[in-house]
Amino acid sequence: MTAPDMNRLLVVRCPDLLDEDEDGATLRSFVKVIDAVESYCPWVTTVRPGICSLPARGPARYFGGEGSLAQLVTDATSAITPVEVGVADGLFAAVLAAHDGLVVPAGGTPGFLARFPVGILGHPELAELLTRLGIRTLGDFAALPESHVLGRFGADGVICHMVAGGRSGELDELRQPVAGRRIDEQRSGARRNGAAGHGAAVGESGFWGGVSDTDARAARALAAVQDLIGPGSVVTARLQGGRGPAQRARFITWNARESHEDSTLGAPWPGQIPSPAPSIVHPTPLLAELADANGQPVSVSGRGLLTAVPTRLSVEKSPWSVVTAWAGPWPSDERWWSRSRRRSARMQAVTGTAAHLLLIERGRWWVEATYG
Amino acid sequence: MFVESTDRGDGAPLDRKRARESLALLAERTRPVSSSQTRLLPVLPPLISLFPDGSLRRGSTIVVSDQAVAGGSGGNSGGGISLALALLAAASGAGSWCALVGLPGLGAVAAHDIGVDLARLAVVPRPGAAWAEVAAALVEGVDLVVLCPPFPPRPAMARRLVARARERRSILVVVPGRSGWPEPADMHLTVSAMRWDGIGAGEGYLSRRHMTVTATGRRSAVRPRRHHLWMPSATGEVADAAGVIETRP
Repeated sequence: MTAPDMNRLLVVRCPDLLDEDEDGATLRSFVKVIDAVESYCPWVTTVRPGICSLPARGPARYFGGEGSLAQLVTDATSAITPVEVGVADGLFAAVLAAHDGLVVPAGGTPGFLARFPVGILGHPELAELLTRLGIRTLGDFAALPESHVLGRFGADGVICHMVAGGRSGELDELRQPVAGRRIDEQRSGARRNGAAGHGAAVGESGFWGGVSDTDARAARALAAVQDLIGPGSVVTARLQGGRGPAQRARFITWNARESHEDSTLGAPWPGQIPSPAPSIVHPTPLLAELADANGQPVSVSGRGLLTAVPTRLSVEKSPWSVVTAWAGPWPSDERWWSRSRRRSARMQAVTGTAAHLLLIERGRWWVEATYG
Repeated sequence: MFVESTDRGDGAPLDRKRARESLALLAERTRPVSSSQTRLLPVLPPLISLFPDGSLRRGSTIVVSDQAVAGGSGGNSGGGISLALALLAAASGAGSWCALVGLPGLGAVAAHDIGVDLARLAVVPRPGAAWAEVAAALVEGVDLVVLCPPFPPRPAMARRLVARARERRSILVVVPGRSGWPEPADMHLTVSAMRWDGIGAGEGYLSRRHMTVTATGRRSAVRPRRHHLWMPSATGEVADAAGVIETRP
C-alpha cells in the first residue's frame, strides 16, 4: 500500500526560523519567505514554523525542471534568511532533502532514505528495539515484510515502516497545524490591510489550466465571498495521512487558479480510530468532564486503562449527560520532534443519540470530534 | 548547489508558451459536468426514495431538522450534518460545485467517505454576522449551498435567501439546529430514531449509526416518505437499512 501523500514536494527549510521568538520577528521573516515563494507558485503550505512546502510537478514543468525551480526559489528567498531547498516524494523525504540541498529524482526516494539511521524517525523506543535486532538504517527496516512489522511493532511501527520505505511521507507532528494556521492568519491579515484587488485574477482563464463555465461561475461567487469577508474566509479540504481526525485533513485557502490542482487528493490511509470518521472535528477542542457513578473524575492510568467506569459527561460546563456506551481508551504517544513529549489517549463516548471522540491529555478531557 | 541526478520526466527547459499549452492540456479533465440547464441534480441511490423526483430539484430549499441535544452537549451532534453532506455527494461527483457555510469544524474525512468530492466543495467555516450575505453570494454560482446559520435567522432575511436561490436555480440546504428556520421550505427532512451500533460498556467502537429520515414537502412532495438508513455505515457511506426494525418510537 502506498499512501496518497507521496507527491513530488519542494520543501523550503529556514534553519534560523525554526524556533519562534517572543517578539514574533522570526514568524514575520518566515511570512516574507512564504510570500516570496508564493509569487512563483500559488499553493504553498505551511508545514511548521520555518518549513513550508509546495507540490513541485506543475511549477517544475513551467520553470524548466525541478532543479531550476529549486534554484529559483532559493534566489527568491535567500535575501530574507538562509534557506535550504530540496525536492523528493512525500513530506518526510522532502524535508530531509532540503536539509541536504538535494533534488531526489522521481522514484529515487526509497534509495535516498535507505542510508539514514532509524533514529531519524523520531521514535526512540522503536529505534532502540530495531537497533537491538541489528536493524540500523531505514533501508534495513523497510526490507522487513509488512506482516512482521504489524505483529512486532504495532500500528505505529507500520506507519514508520511505510515512511522508511518511501511509501508515505506523513508522520505525527511533522506538521504543526496550529502554528501553520497562526501563520496563515497573520498573512491573510496583512493582505486584508493592503488589499489589492485579488478578484482580478479570478475571471481570466486559469494560469495553470482552462476554466469551464461552471467553474468560472463558482469562482466568481467564491471571490465575491472573499471580497465580502476576507480572502482567508473560503477554504477547501485536502486529505493526508495522520492518526487523529485533525491530522487527517488540511484546509487551504481557496484559490481559483488552484482549483484544478486536486492531485493531492486521495483516500486517506487509516487513522488510529476505525471508520466511520467523525463529521465534525472541533477546530478548538471542547473542554469536557467525565465522571463515575460517585461523581468522581475518571482518568486514564499509566497502564492505559480507565480509572473508573464513566457514567456522566459534561461538555463546556453544560449539564451532565448520561454516558450510555463507551469504547477505549486507546493510548497514543505523540512523541515527534516537538520538544514537549505528550502522553495522550482517545476514547469514544455515546450520550443518548450524541457520540463524541474524547481526548485526554495531561489529565484533562477534551471533545476532539463529534459524530454529527 | 543542487545535485540533480537523472532528472526523469522533466527534460529540457520549456519556454513559457509551450509550458502553458501543455498545462492547459493537462487541466482539461474529462469530468462530467452538470449543466446549469438540467432541472434536477442526482442523489445517492439510498436517498432516492425520499424525493418525489428521485433527485434534487434546482431552485428548491430543503430544511434538515435533526436530534440536536438540548443543553449544548457539543452542538451539531444530531445527524443533520451527515445528512446534509450526503445530499451533496452524488451532485459533487457529477461536477456540481458545493459550498458549506457556518460549520467551523467540517470532518473532511467523513465528508469524503460519505461520497463528497472535496475538490468541488468550498467551505466558509466562519461567515460571522454576514452569513446571509455570504449565502446569497454563493447561490449566484454554486449549485448546492449548505447553510448552518450561526445566528437565529430573521424571517425577512430567510425569505430573501429562499427567493434568491429559486431565482438563481441553486439548491439551498439549511441545517438550522435549535434556532429553527422561519420560512416554509420546499422540503423538510427530519432525522429520528438514531442509534449507534458496535459500541458497548467499554467494548468495541462506534461502527455504524441507524437513523430514520422522514421527508415532507409542498406540492408533489406533500405525502410524507420515511426511510431507514445507515448513516454512516461501517465504511462511512450511506446505506439502505430498509430491513431494520425501529426499537424506539
